[in-house]
Amino acid sequence: MSDLELQAELGLGARRQGASPRPRRIGVAEGLAGAVALFLVLAAVVPQLLAPGDPLAIDPLSAFQPPSLPHWFGTDESGRDLYTRVVHGTGNSLLIGVLATTIGLGLGVLLGTLAGMLGGFVDFTVNRVLEVLFAFPGLLLALLVILIYGPGVATATIAVGLSTAPGYARIIRAQLVSVRSSAFVEAATVQGLTAWRILARHILPNTLAPLLVLATLGIGQAIVWATALSYLGLGAQPPAAEWGAMLSAGRTYITSAWWMSFFPGLFIVLTAVAATTLGRAIERRMRHA
Amino acid sequence: MQSSGNTRTSRALLAGATLTVAGLLLSACTAAPDAPASGKPVVGGTLTYASGDAEPDCLDPHVGGNYPQALTGTQFLESLVSRDKSGAIIPWLASEWSESDDGLAWEFTLRENVYFSDGSPFDAAAVQANIAHLQDPATGSSTGYLALQKVTGTEAVSATVVRLTLAEPDSALLESLSQPWLAMESPEGLARGMEENCAAPIGTGPFVIKDWVKQDAITFVRNDTYDSPPADAGHEGPAYLEKIVWRFIPESASRYAALQAGEVDVIDNAQPDTIVQADKGDSIQHLDAPRPGAANRIELNSGTGPFTDPKVREAFIRSANVDDGVASLFQGTAKRSYSALSSAEALAVSRPELFEYDPKAAGKLLDSAGWSETDADGYRVKDGVRLTVFFPVSTNQSIPAEQSLFEQIQATAKETGFEVKLTPMDLSSWYGALGNGEYDAVSAPYTKVGPDVLRILFHSDGITPAPSGYFANHAQVNDPKLDELLTEAGRESDADKRKDLYTEAQNLLLEGFYILPLYDQQNHFLLGADVEGARALPTVSTPTFYDAWLSR
Amino acid sequence: MFVLWAVATLTFFAVRLIPGDPAEAILGGPGSQASAEALAAVRAEYGLDQPLLVQYFAQLGRLATGDLGRSYALKLDVGPLVLGQLGGTLVLAVLSLALAWIIALALATWSTRGGRVAARVGSGLEIVAASLPHFWLATALIVLFSIWLGVLPPISTPGLAGLVLPVLTLAVPLAGFLGQVIREPLLTALESPFVLSALARGESARGVRWIHAIRHASIPAISLSGWAFGSLISGAVVVETVFARPGLGRTLLNAVTVRDVPVVIGVVMLVAVAYILMTLLTDLATRVADPRVRAR
Repeated sequence: MSDLELQAELGLGARRQGASPRPRRIGVAEGLAGAVALFLVLAAVVPQLLAPGDPLAIDPLSAFQPPSLPHWFGTDESGRDLYTRVVHGTGNSLLIGVLATTIGLGLGVLLGTLAGMLGGFVDFTVNRVLEVLFAFPGLLLALLVILIYGPGVATATIAVGLSTAPGYARIIRAQLVSVRSSAFVEAATVQGLTAWRILARHILPNTLAPLLVLATLGIGQAIVWATALSYLGLGAQPPAAEWGAMLSAGRTYITSAWWMSFFPGLFIVLTAVAATTLGRAIERRMRHA
Repeated sequence: MQSSGNTRTSRALLAGATLTVAGLLLSACTAAPDAPASGKPVVGGTLTYASGDAEPDCLDPHVGGNYPQALTGTQFLESLVSRDKSGAIIPWLASEWSESDDGLAWEFTLRENVYFSDGSPFDAAAVQANIAHLQDPATGSSTGYLALQKVTGTEAVSATVVRLTLAEPDSALLESLSQPWLAMESPEGLARGMEENCAAPIGTGPFVIKDWVKQDAITFVRNDTYDSPPADAGHEGPAYLEKIVWRFIPESASRYAALQAGEVDVIDNAQPDTIVQADKGDSIQHLDAPRPGAANRIELNSGTGPFTDPKVREAFIRSANVDDGVASLFQGTAKRSYSALSSAEALAVSRPELFEYDPKAAGKLLDSAGWSETDADGYRVKDGVRLTVFFPVSTNQSIPAEQSLFEQIQATAKETGFEVKLTPMDLSSWYGALGNGEYDAVSAPYTKVGPDVLRILFHSDGITPAPSGYFANHAQVNDPKLDELLTEAGRESDADKRKDLYTEAQNLLLEGFYILPLYDQQNHFLLGADVEGARALPTVSTPTFYDAWLSR
Repeated sequence: MFVLWAVATLTFFAVRLIPGDPAEAILGGPGSQASAEALAAVRAEYGLDQPLLVQYFAQLGRLATGDLGRSYALKLDVGPLVLGQLGGTLVLAVLSLALAWIIALALATWSTRGGRVAARVGSGLEIVAASLPHFWLATALIVLFSIWLGVLPPISTPGLAGLVLPVLTLAVPLAGFLGQVIREPLLTALESPFVLSALARGESARGVRWIHAIRHASIPAISLSGWAFGSLISGAVVVETVFARPGLGRTLLNAVTVRDVPVVIGVVMLVAVAYILMTLLTDLATRVADPRVRAR
């Protein structure tokens, strides 16, 4: 089982139980998560709006300053403003997350659809392939990709994407199989529609919504993984304003300047929590819609 | 640094030191080690050392020859001669030596009754075997190989006298031989083949390798029959400590926290912020032992690219604000250097006026060099080509603070119109980039005893790689006049004439703007309060624990 | 067996994609500028001069006999090296798993008992815990317990104290996931007829919770152990690096950084074997714990 399958499972589990009450319009947690997400998207798209400074501008004479009014998150070893860097780093970090998720989801959809729709030999083969890929749990597949192509932002993104793909593929295949055997698809089959037409008309729309949920959950996970790779020195490199790279730079000074590690890490956690909460919320809403 | 070190030492002596604390540059503001007079050295105990340097692939410092190997080698290997804190050569495994009048032959009389830890005797034949091993291309030595370049032959005059014959006089021979990379190993050990010898070289030193668990720790145990310390050591006979556990902890913060927690007794590569913290309290001692040889510097590749033009080199140097960066990043633990040589070298020439931060002058220099246009991003352009400086950074060789300094130089040079492309690399890729000439600027530490390091780094011969593939002249300085001065200085045994030659050579080099000096090669050790008698060898500043004991 | 063969094949051919000459890598990378003779000698020694298929079958043959080859960088046989590192990681993983279960159960029982607010706080905590990246948590724990409070060592030491922070780092995020998984089944189980009847028989409320409900709730969590295993391995890479603890994770990261191919393959193969064993065990455990599966 992959992280994603687990996340999806958690949503499905709640559905099976039917235990959770119909959600209020917007819960407190959801509201907060939404606000965080809005902030992150703004930070990614128009960082200048939230932090007008230059994330690379140095000021050696005001290095290592703790959080204060002029420097909300303090400054780093070169006197760069950490708030500005964290905000400007959002774009990089989110982009890596989104790209990795796109790669993973894209491959997952491809493999999952092939297996789920064609069945038989293709299904068997894809399942075997997935089985093999699952024997590289967690970061292992990502590390293997980095071994081959060397460290760097691009490799790290691809590595995370590839290592999440099997999880997506298995969920999508399962989803397709269950939708295919549902009543309305059977009805369509009886009406004489071709399989691919049914796929386009009936099945895809029914699997798209869960995909949205998966992607939301996945982006959070992908960002955590990509920053982990940067932290280990295998992804983005300083002085790039990327959260993992900032954390990596900050750990040298952890004994004297905790804020250099704390704030970039806080944003990673916030992103992951927001993504999970929103993913679940979307899931719940669709279920009741 | 040198002068303040001396005052510190004399202060420690005043405190009533009975041990020789020569070369122990304890920082004045930390608690001096508990007055040695109050305690007799305790025999026994295990000292845990946490190294931030890379774990060596091979513990034989003949192979390759880098600083991590010198650090570990110092614990179990010994050299023919050593150096005292004034820079004078003193006896070690060789008790005396003499140079022939023409300078083409040296005779070393060896200390008697010295045995390797495998029981075989240390004699003239052993010295011959070691020199042959260093000069054998199959050994892949770079540091030792370069140091012995002038040695053409060896001869055992008697069991305890060995003669080296040279192709030309070598004023740096003793300095070279004092280095741990030219330490003496058991010939029988060498004969086992590289693989076995790399795992556990056999020396004459105060400790012996017990085992080496790769990626974790090396364990050294006391050599109970040891009795061949260098002339400046604090005592005779075996070491006090029973065991040294040499751990590899690459995370600098973890290293410091481990020292604070008392999990380890000594750490190296201490970061500036932790040194400042340690200096404030009195539970941790600070040993500041700048490495000899070259100062840390950025070398500008004068062989290809934009830096073939001296004006562009000067413009780059003038555009870089190094002072502010050193002040903020090193927080007073490192002093700005304006010299090609370490301040530990008596012959170092310092020229501050050549390296002043002056962006206006830098801009004018670029204008006159033809880089007068500026593109949309603010970078200078000539014939449609952007003024780009490729700067590969070895993450193994530059500490984080130094990498941050490069980032700051990148930012200030941008204001003048240089686009500096910093690329952090692992050691292998970095060597690769250098080997292929894919760099305009680079920074590489080079540790060697004595000013002869200038010949290795800046003589045009250094553009051709050594057998290990390493070439040292990264600036690709190719100046016949400089070559001549350095060669001449390397032959000159008269101290005054040697000094004049090195002074002229350094002036030529600095005025040619081939290098941007930064600071001495930093070498800070932090020690727990109960570690007594540890010192750095005045050769290449590696710590020795022969005199050390634990007052627990 | 099929998966093992496929993993071996995949890694073998994937590694051929690495740019550069493996002989050069063995001699220390492009920087070594090794001579042609040295390269040829290394190629012969490692069998790199053979046709690809010959090399492939030779590799499979070696693997079948448990020979994982020789490390480029450490010049050691990979098999013993990797097995030697396994113990440290295993201790870490088992302790973390145990602690994660304790935290998850404690949190879940507390929050299912404490009403609406406790339930919300509990599930919130679980989501946050599950989102904590290991590297950040490790750093935060070091700052808190080693630097500020000075009570626990910041590096892994042989004693028990040295295990606390690494285990905590791995356990907390895992507990977050486990908690989320057992929460719903626990709630359902507590309201189910067999719990009510047990209560009616006069067993204490606490006993009921622990025996029936947890047994019921553990079924989905057992099926998670494969995932938990992967998560612990990824975590070990980070945790062992931060706490300077010898183990598989640190070995793997070092090997990837210096491109020590045989070691990477060795670790990957070992993890794959462990994963497959884990999956088999999980299937067995599920059969034992869940009567419905057993009946089938």
